[in-house]
Amino acid sequence: MTGKSSRASGDRRQPLALAAVLLLQGIAAVFFVGDAVGDMLLDPTSPEGMLESLVALALVAGVVLSGLQLRAALERLATQERTLDTARGKLSDVIATQFQAWGLTPAERDVGLLALKGLDVSDIAALRGAAQGTVRAQLTRIYAKAGVSGRAQFGAWFVEDLLEDDLTLAPNEKTAARTAERS
Amino acid sequence: MSRDLDRGAEAAPLPPDPWDPLVRISHWLIAGVVLVNGLLSKPGGNLHVWLGWVALGTLAVRLLWGFVGPSEARFSAFLPDPVGALRHLRDLLRGRPSEYPSHNPAGAIMVYALWGCLAIVVATGLVMTDMKSPVTIAEDRAAVAAGDWSVLVDDSETAESDHEGDGIAKELHELAANLMLLLAMVHVGGVVIESRALRRNLVRPMLTGRGKMK
Ligand code: HEM
Ligand code: HEM
Repeated sequence: MTGKSSRASGDRRQPLALAAVLLLQGIAAVFFVGDAVGDMLLDPTSPEGMLESLVALALVAGVVLSGLQLRAALERLATQERTLDTARGKLSDVIATQFQAWGLTPAERDVGLLALKGLDVSDIAALRGAAQGTVRAQLTRIYAKAGVSGRAQFGAWFVEDLLEDDLTLAPNEKTAARTAERS
Repeated sequence: MSRDLDRGAEAAPLPPDPWDPLVRISHWLIAGVVLVNGLLSKPGGNLHVWLGWVALGTLAVRLLWGFVGPSEARFSAFLPDPVGALRHLRDLLRGRPSEYPSHNPAGAIMVYALWGCLAIVVATGLVMTDMKSPVTIAEDRAAVAAGDWSVLVDDSETAESDHEGDGIAKELHELAANLMLLLAMVHVGGVVIESRALRRNLVRPMLTGRGKMK
């Protein structure tokens, strides 16, 4: 929190505010629904009761939508964090975490790492003292677990985020460099 | 601290640091309400009922979050698993508890027990107050205080019929509330013991999240 870029901490405050509002909405919805139900029970056909039910419905829908929005914000933040970690040279950590998230077995993790390093099937088989068929089967399982079509996509998975960010960062850096030159 | 050292290459994924803001805020709201209502506020008083409704809303949002939230906040990440819970407690006794990506299995059981107690307490509280919202209750009381007793007369007609139910509701309310306070003490004790055993502060991710870790 201290001394980090203000953009990063700002990004982190956004979900906090969203979550606070979401809870407030939820609590308000419960109070309102409680009141509306009470009124409806007293006089089910009153126009006031109908209106209250409508508002109650809107409140509940708002809570659900805010929830989905909050999750999207959190996911965006997690991607950003992963990108930053990758850029900071923590690629191996990122890979290890992701391998775990995909549920790779220890053997599959080793094979996956070697594949990422660019070794081909015969190299990996020789290194691990295993049959090529075994390695090929392991790779197939790894790609299936990662939800990628093959080796190229598998490697791309880890650099994709980086490249995306580069595209948005590059122009800014250029302008910054130019202003620096001028002054 | 020594997070990276502790985990080694094959360690299990850790719970989030920090927990997402909704889990954090809802946790401290619920803890606050339980402590204030269980120990401080006048039983059945206006504040007590208001806070009870706050707990109801908070619980509802948290349970919704259990379906739509990030993976570690979802019920699917900490399904009740009594066998796993016993295994975890055994590992803890041996001083070698494992890490889990969400609540540990024993903690998960506690979480469900606390939420369950809270649900019972709130439900019985609502029965005792005839499902009236705190606004209505406050209005009624103000009317009575001003000398208008008619609200009480209106009430007694309906209240008379389920008078029996009210007694049970009151017993249950008190029982579940006290059980919850007891469980909360065990819960805090568990957090302390687990923090010691894992040599990392479990409370900070629930408070502010990332601090010294990086
Ligand atoms: C909507 C929520 C709630 C409502 C409407 C409610 C209502 C009430 C009422 C009317 C009483 C008075 C019972 C009596 O003596 O006749 C009471 C007592 C009490 N409530 Fe609640 N309550 C709620 C939530 C809670 C919560 C969340 C707690 C947390 C621990 C709690 C703890 C207690 C305790 C300890 C008593 C004293 C029990 C006794 O000695 O009879 N209540 N509540
Ligand atoms: C009456 C008080 C309390 C109640 C009812 C309560 C209830 C809960 C619940 C329901 C959860 C699950 C959170 C979720 O998934 O949304 C939880 C988790 C947690 N609580 Fe509490 N809590 C209380 C007090 C405290 C206190 C005082 C502390 C700190 C010392 C604490 C520390 C934690 C921690 C660290 C977790 C996360 C456990 C983990 O790492 O798996 N709680 N609590």
